[in-house]
Amino acid sequence: MSTLHGTISRRLTWMNMLVSSIALLIAGVAFAAYDLATLRAEIVRNLSIEAQMVGSHSVTALLFNDATAAEETLAALRASPAVIRAQVFTPDGHLFAAYSRDGSPALPPPRIPGGLTEMSEFDASSVYVARLVVSDGRPVGIVRIRADLREMYDRLAHFALIVVTVLLVSLAGALLVSRVSQRAISTPLAAVAAVARQVTQEKDYAVRAPHVETPYELAVLVDSFNAMLLEIQQRDRSLQEAQAQLEARVRERTDELHATNNELEAFSYSVSHDLRAPLRHVTGFATLLDQHAGPSLDDQGRRYLTTITDAAARMAKLIDDLLAFSRMGRASVSKRRVDLSQLVREARDEVSADLNGRRIAWTIDELPAVDADPALLRPVLVNLLSNAVKYTSTRDHARIEVGTETRASELVFFVRDNGVGFDMAYAHKLFGVFQRLHRADEFTGTGIGLANVRRIIQRHGGRTWAEGAVDAGATFYFSLPTQGAAA
Amino acid sequence: MTGTYRRPLRAAAGLVLMSVCVANAQSPPRSEYEIKAAYLFTFAKFVEWPARSARDDASFTVCVLGADPFGAVLDTTLAGALIRGRKVEGRRIAALDAATGCHIVFIGASEERRTDTIIPSLTASGALTVSDMPRFAERGGMIQFVTAANRVRFEINLASARQAGLTMSSELLRVASAVRNGSGPAE
Repeated sequence: MSTLHGTISRRLTWMNMLVSSIALLIAGVAFAAYDLATLRAEIVRNLSIEAQMVGSHSVTALLFNDATAAEETLAALRASPAVIRAQVFTPDGHLFAAYSRDGSPALPPPRIPGGLTEMSEFDASSVYVARLVVSDGRPVGIVRIRADLREMYDRLAHFALIVVTVLLVSLAGALLVSRVSQRAISTPLAAVAAVARQVTQEKDYAVRAPHVETPYELAVLVDSFNAMLLEIQQRDRSLQEAQAQLEARVRERTDELHATNNELEAFSYSVSHDLRAPLRHVTGFATLLDQHAGPSLDDQGRRYLTTITDAAARMAKLIDDLLAFSRMGRASVSKRRVDLSQLVREARDEVSADLNGRRIAWTIDELPAVDADPALLRPVLVNLLSNAVKYTSTRDHARIEVGTETRASELVFFVRDNGVGFDMAYAHKLFGVFQRLHRADEFTGTGIGLANVRRIIQRHGGRTWAEGAVDAGATFYFSLPTQGAAA
Repeated sequence: MTGTYRRPLRAAAGLVLMSVCVANAQSPPRSEYEIKAAYLFTFAKFVEWPARSARDDASFTVCVLGADPFGAVLDTTLAGALIRGRKVEGRRIAALDAATGCHIVFIGASEERRTDTIIPSLTASGALTVSDMPRFAERGGMIQFVTAANRVRFEINLASARQAGLTMSSELLRVASAVRNGSGPAE
């Protein structure tokens, strides 16, 4: 506040002072020069009058050769303090009479150019006036007077004193004027600056710069500034309102969604659960029927029975998976440090159990430890590895590669195989429930596995995706946030 | 050094006059009657005569009464001179009767015995009376040359001049060695 205030008022003060000083100095010098010229002319005129008087009173003295009378005439110059020496010469240049105030040296006879009756000369300290004494048109003598210029210098000194005094007084005036102009110009400016700083630092758009009437430009500045603040304040408020509305709507929708989701899950859970009882009856009675009438059935009858049993088993598996999936939505995630290598090894052992003698080339990189719930991460790994095993079953030389890549804020885990692959056009369907890209008689499965994988990874704050091409293998990825970058 | 030149005169005339003046001054010391002749002429500048029909005002007349001590010097001095724009004429007169029309009358030493009759007569005619005879001013003459310490000076009898209706400039009175206001001793 004080810095801007200080700068502007100091500038104004200096400008005022500079301008008045320059004006006064120029005026002073001009006046002094004019005064000096006038004074010199005046001094010469006065001396000329004295010379004229001395001359006219010396005519008879010169004509009648009376030096005493001439000296008496010269002595009258005592009344003029500036005159320090006066001499009367005969026309041929001989000294006729002299007067000296202070014993200053005698003056040589002047040489007045022909045609002139008078001439004046200046040197540093004196002025000299010489005048022809004329009687009846004939020169009868010459008067020469020397006067010192003390009067002129005194006057000059006086003048300088006056100029300095006026300068000081007007500087004081300029100071006063700048104080007043400070009130009119720099105070409103400083107020605007202070408000601007408050706005930028505290984001407080409610403040206003105090209104001023004059000067016009400042009034416009202050009013425009305030209008801008008002505009910003209004926009800020409507923005906040819109945001609040949006948040409220999102919250509302989220709540609704949650409710619906819970309902849906409860429904699917109870449906799945309730489906198990009749299914157990189907399985149980199919088994009983096999025991009871198996031997008496012909081949066709037994095939029917087997189909019933298989279908029931598949349905039981489906229901179990659905229930697991449903539970996953509600289960809490309890993270801890998990050795990913260990987990992958266990998953590989699990999926290798029923390979029916197939040979698979595993490539498993060195894997880091991650923060995850091992009970949840384990089915993810099992699912991805079993998929890889399943979809490479048509290959003579199956290759499965497991590894990780570390990115900016996440660890990316991948499982790559050289299996049948998939069409990238359907990649977005891979992780949906009951979404299958292959026929059930080609590759067994319920269509729930990858949906479960996505759900678990999402619960860990990560992402899932896949790349692949038909008959050219597939790579499934999931990422886990590192260093607590996400929940 | 600066110089200011003012009041130019008629340049040529000034130059000529000054050179004449300088030439005069540089000549050897003047004789007593050279000086007196010059003074005689110069007095005219500081004396005013009343206008009078009796005098021929076409010229200014300087007369020498009686024996002439000046000789050619007077004519040389007066030659070409002007008094108030009038030509100056020098005249030698032997008797008082011939003094009519004279502005200035120099009374020679030869007339000393007749001075007491000459002075009143000339005064009455309004002429300026000048002489170098002793006690001239005391006896009623207007200007008397006196020579002291080798210098020519003069005494003035102002009363006589007034009596003749002449006005003498104070400047002239100032350089006079003595001024009397009547007969008797000088002031």
